[in-house]
Amino acid sequence: MIYHVGKVDVPALRGVNITVNEGEYVAIMGPSGCGKSTFLHIVGGMLQPTSGRVIIDGEDLTRMSDGERTDLRRRKIGFVFQRFNLFPTLTAEGNLKLAERIYSNGANGGNSDRRREVLRLLQLESKMGHKPLELSGGEQQRVAIARAIVNRPAILLADEPTGNLDSENSQIVLDMLRNLNNEFRQTIIMITHNPEAAKLADRIIEMRDGHVVSSGASL
Amino acid sequence: MDNLIAANVKQRPLRTAISVIGVSLGVILVVLTVGLARGMQRDSLDRQSNVDAELRMAPPGTQPLASNPLMFRAGYARAIMEGVQPTDEDPDLEPKPPIPGAAAASPVGEMIQSSAGGIGFEMVDGIDFESFVKTTQLRIVEGRALGDGRSPGSDYEAIIDRFYAENNKSSDGRPVKTGSKITVLGNEFTVVGIYEPPILGRVKIPLYTMQQLFGGADNCTFVMVKTERPELAEEVKESIERYYPGNRLIFTRDLPALYSQGINAVEIFLNVVIGLAMIISTLVILLAMYTTIIERTREIGILKSLGASKRFIVISIEKEAALISLMGVLFGFLVSVIGKYGIEASTRLKIDLDLRWLLLATSIALAGGLIGALYPALRAANLDPVEAISYE
Repeated sequence: MIYHVGKVDVPALRGVNITVNEGEYVAIMGPSGCGKSTFLHIVGGMLQPTSGRVIIDGEDLTRMSDGERTDLRRRKIGFVFQRFNLFPTLTAEGNLKLAERIYSNGANGGNSDRRREVLRLLQLESKMGHKPLELSGGEQQRVAIARAIVNRPAILLADEPTGNLDSENSQIVLDMLRNLNNEFRQTIIMITHNPEAAKLADRIIEMRDGHVVSSGASL
Repeated sequence: MDNLIAANVKQRPLRTAISVIGVSLGVILVVLTVGLARGMQRDSLDRQSNVDAELRMAPPGTQPLASNPLMFRAGYARAIMEGVQPTDEDPDLEPKPPIPGAAAASPVGEMIQSSAGGIGFEMVDGIDFESFVKTTQLRIVEGRALGDGRSPGSDYEAIIDRFYAENNKSSDGRPVKTGSKITVLGNEFTVVGIYEPPILGRVKIPLYTMQQLFGGADNCTFVMVKTERPELAEEVKESIERYYPGNRLIFTRDLPALYSQGINAVEIFLNVVIGLAMIISTLVILLAMYTTIIERTREIGILKSLGASKRFIVISIEKEAALISLMGVLFGFLVSVIGKYGIEASTRLKIDLDLRWLLLATSIALAGGLIGALYPALRAANLDPVEAISYE
């Protein structure tokens, strides 16, 4: 993957070859600028690589149009970001319903049983009427996770989900990701700078300067 | 708030309010301008309907229900009723008999002046009272009849209709009644009577006085001719055309249709107003939604990360524009209704709020809003998701 910055070509990923199995929980670590987020955005269909192939569940993202990649993201992928990225004007429940509406191509309703189950799992039942600014950082990130998984995507992509949280809330969020992986068998790819967070994953991939430098089971 | 569109509209109340007012301006422009044109037209025709005369005789090329200068010989009225005989001054004059079937003929002068309220215009009639009452349903309900303008003291007197009396002030700022002084064509007149029903202009002065104020020639704007029986109208028209060719003779019953044909210029003006309203709505929504999109770039990135298609994003923004436009329409209607009663109470203008035009104003505002939002919506839909989500 090469970024064009003015007239200068900046390679972000070089010869990266990663296979993540269904239901696997993978942590990606590495210094800033090593290509972790670029990798996550490519896997999520938000970026088109300049070369190479990305296969998700047998479908090659690199041969898809922008619309097809968007559709695959809608059906199979959930995103969790460091900055939560909730809609500030909507309540927690409104954020979840919006994700459901997008999943169902604009239809209202959603699966209320599934929503309740997710809320129970993330211990958010009492927070549904609150807007993001009325929630703590940990609660906001739990709402963001709930939004990402409410449609049961096969893959959850988390870009430093604990980067903006204190250690207590970080632990809660990490425990929840682990529980979701155990309970729903969702494939999770999580970027983190935190070795303690990475330890909870099945496998840790280390990147440096756009290369994968190691890939192995966590301790 | 669970609905993104409603939440977005509510998030920036000032911007929403400005957008709503912008859209409503277009609606008000259409509703009040069209309503005013239609209202004044209806009012003119209503007052026309109280004329009993079946025929109107005027110079060729003049428009009915429009003020034309005093350039038509008032003597036609006498000629129709009494015929023409050679005189000592004009011994070669071809003799003509009275028009058979004509029961009355009355010369009427019409001049336009600024409305008393300062907004719009109003018609002033110069009439020969004696013949005028024979060709219309006019009756004096207060005070006395209008003088001929020639006899001493009768030159600056006026009669007014009931509506004028109830909606105007005299020169000294008091309600108008008999004996009040009112300003007509730049001169002060004394109200000597109030008449009903409304006929042509609301203020009537002696035709002779009007002639003296505008050059002194024995002219009028048109002559109204009443026939002995309505069915004689065709016959009388033919006779007049035969004896006095080259004039325009129209049936009073045809005036509404002729008037409609004659207001092409008004229709063009209304179309310009409608076009302006459309442009206003489009620009207001375009600017509002464009700034909204810039401000919400990050949120659009989030929508894209959730898998929202371009179609979903375009529809969301268009729905928001439609909601703002609809609020603008409702606000515009409210202001228009208040404006109608305010204008009618403070001026003599009439405004008709016709359902057809309300629907047209709604369509214009909604179409303008949707078109205006299209470019920002497409721009949002085509944002790069990674750049959008990183937008600060």
